[in-house]
Amino acid sequence: MTMANQSARLGPGRATALVVALETGLAIWLYLFLMLESWPLLLALLVLGVGALLYMQRHQAAERAIIDSFAQCKVLSMVWMSVLVLVFPFLLQGNTYVLHLLVISQLYAVLALALNFQLGSANIPNFATGASYGIGAYTSALLALHWGISFWWCLLASAMVATLFGFLLGIPCMRTRNSYLALVTIAFGIVLQQLINNFSWTGGPNGLVGIPAPTLFDHSFADPIVVFGHSLPSQVNFYLLAFALIVVSVIVARLLHNSRVGLAWNALRTDELAASAQGINVTWYKMLAFAVDAFMAAFAGTIYASYVTYISPDNFTFLVSVTIMTMVIVGGMDNVLGVILGAFLLTVLPEKFRIFSDYRLLIYAAVVILMLIVRPQGLIPKQLRRYKG
Amino acid sequence: MAAEVIQQLLNWLVLGSIYALLAIGFSLLFGVINVIHFSHGDVSLIGPFVALAIVPALGSAFGPGGSVSALLMSMLAAIFIIGILGVVIERIVIRPLRDAPAMMPLVATVALGIFLREAIRRFYPQGSNPQAFSMPFSAPAFSLGEVAVSWFSVIVLATTATLLAGLFFFLKKTPMGVRIRAVSQDREAARLMGVRSNRVFQSSFFIASASGAIAGLFYAGNVGATRFDFGILAGLMGFSAAVVGGLGSIFGAVVGGLLIAGAEVLAQALVPDGAAYRQVFAFMMVIVFLLFRPEGLLGKVVVEKV
Repeated sequence: MTMANQSARLGPGRATALVVALETGLAIWLYLFLMLESWPLLLALLVLGVGALLYMQRHQAAERAIIDSFAQCKVLSMVWMSVLVLVFPFLLQGNTYVLHLLVISQLYAVLALALNFQLGSANIPNFATGASYGIGAYTSALLALHWGISFWWCLLASAMVATLFGFLLGIPCMRTRNSYLALVTIAFGIVLQQLINNFSWTGGPNGLVGIPAPTLFDHSFADPIVVFGHSLPSQVNFYLLAFALIVVSVIVARLLHNSRVGLAWNALRTDELAASAQGINVTWYKMLAFAVDAFMAAFAGTIYASYVTYISPDNFTFLVSVTIMTMVIVGGMDNVLGVILGAFLLTVLPEKFRIFSDYRLLIYAAVVILMLIVRPQGLIPKQLRRYKG
Repeated sequence: MAAEVIQQLLNWLVLGSIYALLAIGFSLLFGVINVIHFSHGDVSLIGPFVALAIVPALGSAFGPGGSVSALLMSMLAAIFIIGILGVVIERIVIRPLRDAPAMMPLVATVALGIFLREAIRRFYPQGSNPQAFSMPFSAPAFSLGEVAVSWFSVIVLATTATLLAGLFFFLKKTPMGVRIRAVSQDREAARLMGVRSNRVFQSSFFIASASGAIAGLFYAGNVGATRFDFGILAGLMGFSAAVVGGLGSIFGAVVGGLLIAGAEVLAQALVPDGAAYRQVFAFMMVIVFLLFRPEGLLGKVVVEKV
C-alpha cells in the first residue's frame, strides 16, 4: 500500500465508529424519508442528502476516509447493516405501503446488482435485464399456475430458463460492441415483450392472475408473521425473502469480483483487445456475464411474480431495463454498495414524487441527466483493486 | 392481386424513406459525437406536435382558403424549431459529457428521451391522447394500375431523394461538410488543424434534428396521427436502419431504411395476424444482420489499433 493511502487511514476505533454512525444515519434518513408525509420536511431531507453528497464531492479526504474505514471493517459493516435491515420492519408500525416500497427496492437492488456484472464489471451495455426479469417471472408463474409446482422449484427452473435465454442473447452479442450491442439487447427486449403481448398462452396483454404465494415449513407467505407476540404484515415475508436474495447476490458479487472471473471482466472493460492478447477468452467471459445477469434477474422476477400475484407485459418493458441501468450508473459502476444505494434511491424517490404524480417521470429523467453531468462516477465510485502483500 | 402488390410496394417505399431520413440523423450524429443519440426519435417526433401548435395561429393569419399554405408554413417552422432544439440539446446534455466514457452520454440520451416524451405528455394540451395529424396532400396524384398514388407518397419520396442528395453534396463539397467529416474521422486531429469542433457539433445537431423533424412529420402523416410515445419505436427503427445499412453512410441509410421497412411490410402482408408482429420481424432481421455482418451492409470494417 502506498503512502498516500496510509495517510487517509483512520485508527480502528474511529473507523468502526464511522461505519456504524454512517450506516445508522443512512437507515434513519431512509426511515424518515419513507415515513414522513409533510412536503417541507421531505424537501429538507433531500437537501440534507444532496448537501452531504456535495460535501463529499468537495472534500476528497472525507470520501477517502469513509471508503477506507468501510474497507477496514468489512464484516462489521455487513453485520450491522443486516441488523438494521432486520429491525426495520418493526419500526414501520405496520405501514404496508412503505413495506411494499422496500420489497420493490430490494428486488430492484438485486436486478441492479445483476446488471452490474455486465455494465459495471465488463462494460457491456445490456438493455435486456428487464427482459430476463420478465422471463423469470413468466416462467415461474406459468409453472405454478399450470402444473402447481412449488415456489422453490420454480425459482430454480425460472433461473435455468432465463440463463438459457441469456446465452441465446449472448450469441449475437459476441460479435458486436458498444452501441451495436446496445441495439441487439434493446431489440431482444422489445421482441420478447411483443411476443408475450401477442401469445395467448402467456395471457396476452391481460397477463397472468392468481400466482400463488410461496410456503416455507407450512408457513404461507401470504400470512402475517408473528414474532414475540408482535404481528407483522405479510409483506414482511417477502421483505425478508428479498433481503436474503440481496445477501446471496452480494456474496456472489464479492466472490466473483475477487476471483479470476472478476479480474477478467475488468480487463475486458479496460481494453478488450489487450485482454484477448493476454490470453483471456473474451467470448467466454462475455457469455458468462450474460448468464450471471439473467440468472440473478430471474430470481428477482420469480419473487416479484409471487409477491404481487399478477404480472402483465407492462411490468417488463424497455423502460424497466433503462431504470435498472440508471440505478447502476447513478449508484456507481462496479461498486456493490453504490449499486444498492442507487436502486433504493431511484425506487423510493419517484414514489415520493407522487405528490405531483403527473411530473414523476419528468423529474426522474431530469435528475438522472443532472446526476450524469454533475457526478458521472456515481454516488459511490468504483474502487481500485487492492492487493495484499 | 397486382394492385395489392403495387400498394404494398408503395407502402414499402414510403416507410423506407421515412426510416432512411431518421437513419441519416443517427449516422451523422454517431460520426460526430461517437455515441448513439438515443433520443433522436423523440426529438424528431416532436416535429408534428410543434406544427400542430403553430397551425391555428397561422391559419387565422392566412384567412380562409389558405389552410394548405398555413400548414406548409407551420411545418417549415416546426422543422426549424426542432433543428434549434437539437442545438440546445447538444449544448445542455451532450457537451458536458463529451469526454466521459461512452456509456454516460448513452444513458443520458435515453433519459433525455423519457424527459421529452413526458414533457409532451404533460405540457402539451391533451398531450396524453393521440392527436389527429393529416397531411393536406391525400388527393391522388396519378394512378398505377388500379392503385391511386397520393400526392403524399410522391412528396415523401421526392423530398427524401432531394434531401439525401443535398446532404451528400453538403458533406462532400461544402467547407462545413468537410469539417464535419474531419471531426468524425479524428476529433483531435481536426482540432489541431483549426477546426472549431463546437461549431461542427452544433451544425451537425441542427441538420440531424431538422431532417429528423421532416421524418417525424412524414411519420405522423403516414399514420394519420401522432402520439407522445411514437418517438421510441420510430427512433429504434431509424437506428436499426442506420446500423443495418452501416453507420456513417448515406446510401447505407437508404438501403437500411428500405430493408427494415421491407421486413415490416412483408410481415404485415404475408403473415396472418402479422401487424401485431411487424416489429418482431424487423428486429429479428436486425439481430441476424448483426450476427453475420456487424459493421452493416455498406459500413467500413474498422481496424482497431492497439
